[in-house]
Amino acid sequence: MNKTLISLIIPVILLILWAILTTYTGIIPSYLIPSPSAVWTAFVNLLTNGSLITDTLSTLTRVILGFLIAALIAIPLGVIIGWSKLAQNLSNFIIGVLRPIPPIAWIPFAILWFGVGLGSAIFIIFLGSFFPILINTADGVRRTDKVYIESAYTMGASQLQILKKVYLPAALPNIITGLKVGIGIGLMCTVAAEMIGSDNGLGYLILTSTSMLDSASAIVGMLTIGIIGLGFEYFFRRSERKINW
Amino acid sequence: MTIKLNDVSKSFKSQEKELEVVKDINLTVEDGEFLSLLGPSGCGKTTILRMIAGLDFPSKGDLTENGSPVTGPSPGRGFVFQQYSLFPWRNVLDNIAFGPEVRGMEARERYESARNYIEMVGLTGFEDSYPHELSGGMKQRVAIARALANDPEALLMDEPFAALDVQTRHKLQEELVRIWQEEDKTIIFVTHNVDEAVFLADRVVVLSSSPGEIIKTFKIELERLRDRTSTQFIELKKEITDLVGR
Ligand SMILES: Nc1ncnc2c1ncn2[C@@H]1O[C@H](COP(=O)(O)OP(=O)(O)OP(=O)(O)O)[C@@H](O)[C@H]1O
Ligand SMILES: [Mg+2]
Repeated sequence: MNKTLISLIIPVILLILWAILTTYTGIIPSYLIPSPSAVWTAFVNLLTNGSLITDTLSTLTRVILGFLIAALIAIPLGVIIGWSKLAQNLSNFIIGVLRPIPPIAWIPFAILWFGVGLGSAIFIIFLGSFFPILINTADGVRRTDKVYIESAYTMGASQLQILKKVYLPAALPNIITGLKVGIGIGLMCTVAAEMIGSDNGLGYLILTSTSMLDSASAIVGMLTIGIIGLGFEYFFRRSERKINW
Repeated sequence: MTIKLNDVSKSFKSQEKELEVVKDINLTVEDGEFLSLLGPSGCGKTTILRMIAGLDFPSKGDLTENGSPVTGPSPGRGFVFQQYSLFPWRNVLDNIAFGPEVRGMEARERYESARNYIEMVGLTGFEDSYPHELSGGMKQRVAIARALANDPEALLMDEPFAALDVQTRHKLQEELVRIWQEEDKTIIFVTHNVDEAVFLADRVVVLSSSPGEIIKTFKIELERLRDRTSTQFIELKKEITDLVGR
């Protein structure tokens, strides 16, 4: 049987169970979990009034911006940390302390520094994406086989050339893994990011519908985030596979 | 290139102990010579070659190339590593062009030269292949071509054929002799295989094990390409094998 089909088995079973437990038997009352048909109706509503598209696009914009800024800073920094023992020792402690802090905890500072709105949202997503990219990049550089570096030296490469032409490509698979994890975590931060001064976005959709007890619309927002994540995952998996060495 | 080792010793510190790996090596490798360093596993062959390459430094004694001290790696001393060392993210052509590339040769020129070396090692048609698509023998051909592409005066080779089957190994040995004859390089070839040393080298330097010291040097004056079945070849091999075996 083909892989796509296999991967659909469990979702379909869950969907049937969900329908049985809600619509057909009413074992679970609708205020706990809305029925599939209620979610479908909410989906059609959100789609036809255009808000789902707007929300998806604005969330995508925030996530991609936050992620790109994170990548732009974390990759060079990661290369330096992986490459220089001194940089590693200098940064070990501070990274160790900052990394476990949940991005949501930064919200007060996000507001102070970037105001209410887009800047803060991007900052929160940036925080989520930054560390996985940084750490994977540094790790990839650090693990570069010594024989590649020594070969490059014996062929006359300078330090800078070795950084660019040996460490960076050698670390590329790790960097891509970091990007994959980074954008995933960035996406997980959307609800937190859109708590501050956003008036659209999927996180915002989830927050507002929840507060209005419209759990069907909240589920539409959740599933949309999930599907976007799946799309990113697919994209990065393909890039990983392109690196076939 | 003339390479001179004067009283070279090398110790490594491991777990607070100083381990002397190579001891009192005195050796002059003449310009254009094909020299083989022969010794059992762990006797310090790689260590000696790495010091000549400038990747490691003697604990005692000194090392010179054409009279000036070796202070670090240089494209004038090409190195073929014992383990596979091709850049897996570069295809054959780009691997071979790496040296000229980092030394600032223009793209057209360096690819043209890389193609020549690909032809020299018999890999025409594999320019676009990646290392993981090549057999062990092909990888070592690329490694040799890559070292040659810098047009080094000396080629330092660390058991480059050790992982290959006998047929492939013999074929590559013959090709190496041909390249050496055409290209006028100084070659230092490390091996633990007596047959290989006698087949290739003008001079075979036999090392003892731990610490590696020179036991004896053999001058091999047989005509190339050498006939492995000739009586002189077999006798030389036997004499050296007896010495190494002790
Ligand atoms: N960087 C190092 N630190 C500590 N000990 C080392 C180091 N490099 C080599 N040695 C030790 O030096 C000795 C000689 O090593 P070397 O690699 O030169 O041997 P070799 O003759 O090339 O062996 P082989 O034929 O197996 O390649 C070994 O005992 C090894 O453990
Ligand atoms: Mg060795």
